Amino acid sequence: MGVLDGLFRRRERSSDIARERLLTVLVHDRVKLTPELLEQLKAELSAVIARYVPTVDPDTIEVTLFRGELIDHLKAEFPLRRQR
Amino acid sequence: MSRVITITSGKGGVGKTTSTANLGTALAMQGAKVAVVDADIGLRNLDVVMGLENRIVYDLVDVVEGRCRLRQALIKDKHFSDLFLLPAAQTRDKDAVGPEDMIALANQLRTEFDYVIIDSPAGIEGGFRNAIAGADEVLIITTPEVSAVRDADRIIGLVEAAGKGSPQLIINRIKPRMVNRGDMMSTDDVLQILAIDLIGAIPDDETIVTSTNRGEVAVLDRTSRAGRAFSDVARRIAGEQVPMPTLEDEQGVFDKLFGMLARRPRGSER
Ligand SMILES: Nc1ncnc2c1ncn2[C@@H]1O[C@H](COP(=O)(O)OP(=O)(O)OP(=O)(O)O)[C@@H](O)[C@H]1O
Ligand SMILES: [Mg+2]
Repeated sequence: MGVLDGLFRRRERSSDIARERLLTVLVHDRVKLTPELLEQLKAELSAVIARYVPTVDPDTIEVTLFRGELIDHLKAEFPLRRQR
Repeated sequence: MSRVITITSGKGGVGKTTSTANLGTALAMQGAKVAVVDADIGLRNLDVVMGLENRIVYDLVDVVEGRCRLRQALIKDKHFSDLFLLPAAQTRDKDAVGPEDMIALANQLRTEFDYVIIDSPAGIEGGFRNAIAGADEVLIITTPEVSAVRDADRIIGLVEAAGKGSPQLIINRIKPRMVNRGDMMSTDDVLQILAIDLIGAIPDDETIVTSTNRGEVAVLDRTSRAGRAFSDVARRIAGEQVPMPTLEDEQGVFDKLFGMLARRPRGSER
């Protein structure tokens, strides 16, 4: 990063960064979903989805926990291989 | 009706012992009969913070194991005749007592005191469980830092799971200047994340260190901002409605004052 970048880029408030990081980490802490469990969840989900949608690519599945306004969400995305 | 209040935190070093000493003293200053209990067995500290280390003969474990009577182990404070310290054992470990012992002890103290304030060790293990076992209410201390707030969240869950209700929060070591610059989370930020009731916001203040050096507590020093904040917490504990000055605002007022002073010469020219 150039010196000018450092000079002109508005610094993000570190308190905001702290808050965002905490919110994310606490969603995970509270749900008690360890990285291993998350992997297991992905594997089982992909097996189920593949039974109905064979074009799902098990390696691209993404499962994320995130914090919403009022409730927290567990979001899963299943990208499909394009077919004609 | 007497109340047993445990002060705990999760993360170490955030101000549990400082809060116990100051709140205990402030409640005694209001005229209540108060016992402060050091439940950090093996890491005795409340005695030195209150300047009572030279008077210790017996300790909490001696009481639990029947080597002395409770009265013999209670040390009278230097300033207030209705304030007593029950010191922790220094040469034993946390397993020397169990939750039932602490419940029995709390109930015994309850018969003689208006308030029993228990200083918990850090962590989520035996020592913490002992410290909350006999409590009616729990106060959580945190600083406005990521690691401390995360640990506070964990502790809040454990306190609620232990059937102690929703604990109340003290945010300690706030640096208003940093908050104003956006470099420290504000009390509102922390409250939004932890979603429990706030009972106090204590500024980071050198008088905590200087008073602790002397074995005095900051609430005895009327010039100490942290001391005044702790006195306010004690009044809220006692049920008084004390407005919660946001420390950030205080800083804002200060800045405004400076702005006014800076403008005045021009204004008074005419
Ligand atoms: N508001 C404050 N301003 C400045 N210093 C403070 C403040 N509160 C606490 N401290 C300092 O922080 C240090 C830790 O405080 P204290 O011993 O009360 O924490 P603790 O939570 O009891 O720690 P432990 O987990 O080791 O028992 C001490 O040196 C104390 O003087
Ligand atoms: Mg301590």
